[in-house]
Amino acid sequence: MSYLSNTKFDVIIVGAGPAGSTAAYTLAKNGLRVVVLERGRTAGSKTLYGGRVYSKPLEEVYENFRKEAPIERWVKKERFSFMSNGELLTLEYSSTDSTSFTAYLSRLASWMAQKAEEAGAVIVTDIRVDDLYLEDGVVKGVRCGDEVLRSNVVVDAEGVNRLILERFGMVPKLEKRQVALGLKQVIRLDASKIEGRLGLAAGEGLAWLIVGEATGYLPGGSFLYTNSSTISLGLVVFLEEAYQNINQHVFNILEDLKQKQSIKEVIADGVVIEYGAHLTPEMGLGMSPKKMYGDGLLIVGDAAGLLLNLGYTIRGVDFAAYSGYLAAKTILKAHSMGSYNSESLSFYQKLLEESFIMKEMKKHKKITKLMRSNEMFTIYPGILLDTVKKLFEIEYSSPTILQALRNSIKGKTSLLKLLWNIFRTFF
Amino acid sequence: MPLNIIVCIKWVPNTQIVNIDPNTGTLIREGVPSIINPHDLNAVEMALRLKEKYGGVVTAVSMAPMSAKTGLEFVIGMGVDRAILVSDRVFAGADTLATSYTLSKVIEKLRPFDILIFGQETIDSSTAHIGAQTASWLRVPYLYYVVDVEYINGVVRATRRLEKKIEVYELPTPCLLAVAMKSNEPRPVKLSHKLRAKMENVIEVWTNNEVGLKRECIGLRGSPTVVEKCIVTPSVPRKKQRFDGQDVREAVKWLVDRLIEDEGLKII
Ligand SMILES: Cc1cc2nc3c(=O)[nH]c(=O)nc-3n(C[C@H](O)[C@H](O)[C@H](O)COP(=O)(O)OP(=O)(O)OC[C@H]3O[C@@H](n4cnc5c(N)ncnc54)[C@H](O)[C@@H]3O)c2cc1C
Ligand SMILES: Cc1cc2nc3c(=O)[nH]c(=O)nc-3n(C[C@H](O)[C@H](O)[C@H](O)COP(=O)(O)OP(=O)(O)OC[C@H]3O[C@@H](n4cnc5c(N)ncnc54)[C@H](O)[C@@H]3O)c2cc1C
Repeated sequence: MSYLSNTKFDVIIVGAGPAGSTAAYTLAKNGLRVVVLERGRTAGSKTLYGGRVYSKPLEEVYENFRKEAPIERWVKKERFSFMSNGELLTLEYSSTDSTSFTAYLSRLASWMAQKAEEAGAVIVTDIRVDDLYLEDGVVKGVRCGDEVLRSNVVVDAEGVNRLILERFGMVPKLEKRQVALGLKQVIRLDASKIEGRLGLAAGEGLAWLIVGEATGYLPGGSFLYTNSSTISLGLVVFLEEAYQNINQHVFNILEDLKQKQSIKEVIADGVVIEYGAHLTPEMGLGMSPKKMYGDGLLIVGDAAGLLLNLGYTIRGVDFAAYSGYLAAKTILKAHSMGSYNSESLSFYQKLLEESFIMKEMKKHKKITKLMRSNEMFTIYPGILLDTVKKLFEIEYSSPTILQALRNSIKGKTSLLKLLWNIFRTFF
Repeated sequence: MPLNIIVCIKWVPNTQIVNIDPNTGTLIREGVPSIINPHDLNAVEMALRLKEKYGGVVTAVSMAPMSAKTGLEFVIGMGVDRAILVSDRVFAGADTLATSYTLSKVIEKLRPFDILIFGQETIDSSTAHIGAQTASWLRVPYLYYVVDVEYINGVVRATRRLEKKIEVYELPTPCLLAVAMKSNEPRPVKLSHKLRAKMENVIEVWTNNEVGLKRECIGLRGSPTVVEKCIVTPSVPRKKQRFDGQDVREAVKWLVDRLIEDEGLKII
């Protein structure tokens, strides 16, 4: 074991995703000596997501965020669709204002890392952290191969597959039911085609979530986001359900979706230029470590389970970045007091509780449950489309809405159960 | 005497991502991240093993735009001691003649050197010229496809693997070796080395002020090669057909049927 003795940092951050880089940026800006260790070739090279980020929390952290960040399009149009038998029932919302934007996460994350570097943080890529380094049970640095780098505090921002925390015994091994599998393709397409086909004005963005047939009726959802001259198309399926029910490779589900008329029209003559897959936490607070801090340790972003999947939207990047920001604030306070024990770092948990992150996660606790009720994905899309079909495809007589709904439900579920499910989700 | 080892690496566009402009036939480099020519990592690994075994200093040299700093940081991370980035607008547009000339002049400034180590070829041009040409400019012996090397009593003993035989050569120093691709496993980056690269500003940038070469010998002006024409082979559009069953035999039958019926394959 060799100790790197001539360099000592105040803070070591593991992982240069949105969480890690935002913590680094905030700390470096306030004069602390920070190093970020990232196993990827560049910051952002190992992250993958769907495509849309909520802006406000980031604007609070980064000055001039709107001007400088690598934003592709501001989302002006939201779509949510049920898909069944190739037919779509879509709710569309067009807004004059917008609170979210599309971006490539690789570019956004590398922009954040660059901000951190400019503020004075040292970003070291190609380095995998193997373990936390402890002295008398207190985290005092990290181990990389046979080397130890010391610091006063370590911020774990390693993302959803938190092997370091597992080895440290802070969290149990990930279970299938705790995560979802996401995969996506980036499809190059002229800006004018994107805008023309989706009814967008120049520069405007669209976020589109689809459930039902779009994931092969598996719990989860498919997504389509517009970038400047590409489309991000992909899906997220709950791993456990997918594991039990799929008898083919998941990428076939995505290929099937691309063959559906409604999607085919949008991506016609586009060229796939990138594809990838990644896990995402799905248990909400159910997979967070009991404490998000320890002696000399703070846990942020996906590693802390801070992600909200509402079905019609995912909030991961803004939560991750903001939790990194709160961790940095905690460390600054601890630094001024000269103590990094778990008592002074517990301030992080307090900041989290008071922030929108925990409030949001608690408020929408029930959604995780509903997201897993199979009916939402297997039966309801069919019922809804059937009902709508009966309403709109008139030959001689037209049914009332209730008649149409009753008829479509027959033999599948009870009207009462359907209404109750809707009620308990949204109220 | 510790060995003075120089290893040359090229910063290339990642040709796995790169697309070809169907009209001009040239690579579209814009927006494509560059990487170290993968075969040059084998050269770096060989240089580091020599250093470990016999003692010495390893200097990496690359002629490239400033973005190649990242690549040089990587090889310092692997354990290279010194890195020189030869970077100046006047070097741009070089063919192999101008490239090897420039590299040889840089290397001359690093005398006395013992062993020059090059990759076998690059993934973006793959001429495999540069090693041989550089050796010729410097009037040193060279050997290609080297898989292993020893340094015994002032003599370099290099092994190379050809298709049907293994050859062992003895060369005097200084000499140049071009390492066979994939002949060793390049080591991962070490934290202490990478930190040094990051924090101590170790990469030296040499412009033509430092190298001092005549304009007509370098860059585009010093490059007699002219690419007259590039012909792009058209890509065949995918038919997007899929076999959905489980049985391998059925799958093969389906595939053969498709090839016979749709593509006119004849079985004779
Ligand atoms: C398919 C999919 C779609 C999504 N869609 C959206 C969306 O539209 N909007 C949204 O806001 N969020 C979305 N998310 C969630 C979002 O991507 C994450 O919440 C966010 O990236 C979390 O940031 P992070 O910094 O915590 O972790 P990550 O972004 O995962 O970063 C972790 C970093 O740590 C590095 N690392 C890991 N282990 C080590 C180690 N041992 N040593 C060194 N480095 C290490 C990794 O290489 C990585 O760079 C989606 C996720 C998926 C999978
Ligand atoms: C027919 C032809 C015409 C060309 N015309 C032009 C042109 O007009 N304009 C133009 O810009 N380019 C041109 N090129 C590309 C240019 O010649 C090469 O990129 C460059 O000279 C290096 O040659 P290479 O990549 O084939 O290297 P190789 O000879 O395949 O490389 C062997 C080894 O030499 C070393 N090496 C190679 N390049 C460098 C470097 N820059 N720095 C340090 N070490 C290095 C590495 O160790 C490498 O593994 C042309 C190439 C060809 C084949």
